[in-house]
Amino acid sequence: MADAPILRPPRLSVRLRPLYRWIGLAALLALTVAFLLPILWMTTTSFQAGEKMFQLTTDWIPTEWHWENYPNALSRAAFPTFFFNSTVVSVIVMVGNVVFCTLAGYGLAKFRFPGDRWVLLAILCTLMLPLEVTLVPTFLVVYKFGWLNSYQGIAGPLVIEAFGIFLMRQSMLSIPADYIEAARIDGAGELRILWKIIVPQCRPALAVLAVFSFRDSWDQFLWPLTVVSVNEYRTFPLGLVAFGEDYGTPPTEQMSIAVLATIPVFLLFAVLQRWVNRGFGLSGLK
Amino acid sequence: MAGRPGENTLAAPAAYAARPSRRFWRLHFQRRITLWGIAFVLPAILFFIVFKFGPMIWAIELSFTSYDMVSEPAFVGLDNYRKLMADPVFGASLFNTLVYIAGSTVLITLVSLGLAMAINTRVPGARYCMMAMFLTNLMPIIAVCLVWRFLLHPFGLMTQLLAPFGIDRVDWLTDTRTAMPAIIAVTAWRFAPYFMVVFLAGLLAIPRDYYEAAEIDGATARHRFVHVTLPLLMPTIFFVVVISALLSARIFLMPYIMTGGGPGNATRVLSMLIYETGFSYLKMGEAAAISVVLFAIMLVFTMGQMRLFMRGERVHG
Repeated sequence: MADAPILRPPRLSVRLRPLYRWIGLAALLALTVAFLLPILWMTTTSFQAGEKMFQLTTDWIPTEWHWENYPNALSRAAFPTFFFNSTVVSVIVMVGNVVFCTLAGYGLAKFRFPGDRWVLLAILCTLMLPLEVTLVPTFLVVYKFGWLNSYQGIAGPLVIEAFGIFLMRQSMLSIPADYIEAARIDGAGELRILWKIIVPQCRPALAVLAVFSFRDSWDQFLWPLTVVSVNEYRTFPLGLVAFGEDYGTPPTEQMSIAVLATIPVFLLFAVLQRWVNRGFGLSGLK
Repeated sequence: MAGRPGENTLAAPAAYAARPSRRFWRLHFQRRITLWGIAFVLPAILFFIVFKFGPMIWAIELSFTSYDMVSEPAFVGLDNYRKLMADPVFGASLFNTLVYIAGSTVLITLVSLGLAMAINTRVPGARYCMMAMFLTNLMPIIAVCLVWRFLLHPFGLMTQLLAPFGIDRVDWLTDTRTAMPAIIAVTAWRFAPYFMVVFLAGLLAIPRDYYEAAEIDGATARHRFVHVTLPLLMPTIFFVVVISALLSARIFLMPYIMTGGGPGNATRVLSMLIYETGFSYLKMGEAAAISVVLFAIMLVFTMGQMRLFMRGERVHG
């Protein structure tokens, strides 16, 4: 500790730190509550009596729990069907992204072929071609395929996203090429190498991809609105909007559906949470 | 697989280079690997041709025609674009889209950076605060829109919360002055926590030593932020700005649900106009022309990202 004089200034600020920590924690908690308030409001409102809305008071804990809002809401429209459709479509989209983005990401991260840089650039370009931009021609493509009012029609254009390919490629770049070459010399096939060596190391990225692709598909509104015209294939956001336009239904029941719609995404996140944090590059945060 | 002629070439390629028969096998082996690489990427390439590039080229083609799905497309030259230029609703929507992109990009970037830095103070429990805030990013957008439509209602929670501060009821979503800022704020509420995570990963990647060194040199917190954090965070900031701009450019549901494009046309954006023109009025040529305009806006933002990419920088997810 011969060089103690140099270390003295930082020590001074260390002594102040506990106070800062408490102020910081208080500020952070306030922010968290501010961010969570609408979610809490949604949950509590879903249990309120219909006439409680717009009375300029909020009972954060309902005096009477109206559990019947949930079955009532579900029976107002074909919501079980809508949720089933949303689930089918979102699972197709999630599996499609996980499989094809892994393949493409691997191909772009660990293989060289003529024009590979251009392929990468082209995929980057698709970021500016979301469905909202190509709505009319994509609708015409799906129409020509005869896919209007079908699951493949709703899920089809979402099955591969550029975001996923970049995510997977990025997570594979750091895997040493030696592993792959060693496996090749041992006579492992290319698919076996992918499955046994690459995929186990990409679990965090795969978890992020699964959560985001499921959520993105679950969130889709404009595209299903465009390609679906029969109740049989409507997804829940379409049902929820139609529900809102029908003024006979109390907003509390709308909130019940909103709560039910939020649960699957939160659950998926909770299940994959351990990997997701690492996938975001947050393993350093304790 | 023992005894396959090509297998040793990886270990000592130079030794075999001179021997023609071995070289033949080596090329074969390499070529097979190359073919596998192409095979892995091929599904994605075909998919993007069918669902991204094909439709975009088709949109450009359609934008010069008049098409209603019943009769064949008829070539009309630049008529669609001329019509758009003269249309005040298009002008308003274009203006609103640009305001919305600018507003939400700035707000998202500032809020998410602020949140990330608050989390990065590593106060006990910061990790749980982060996870809780991230939930807003997972809530379905349709639920977000419906909840906020009620919260911002003149008799909603926002009025209750602001009453103690002497702020009387504000018609957030039905006043021309507040409708767009309200939608921008809700957008930031929903998307900032995602970018908070992106920023946090960026902050965690900055070596602690840099801060300690700066502290020893007597740098204040503000100096450390300006001279250490900001420069090292620049690529992340750039990424967040580009991605949130692309995200805002395609917004549809928020104004559609919360205001329906109103009051007047105060929150009507291009994506809403595309849907209405194409599918309510079946003017597909005109809708395609609006798509081309929206595409051009997004191109500007992607160009920046592409330049960064070409420079060989890390491409973020």
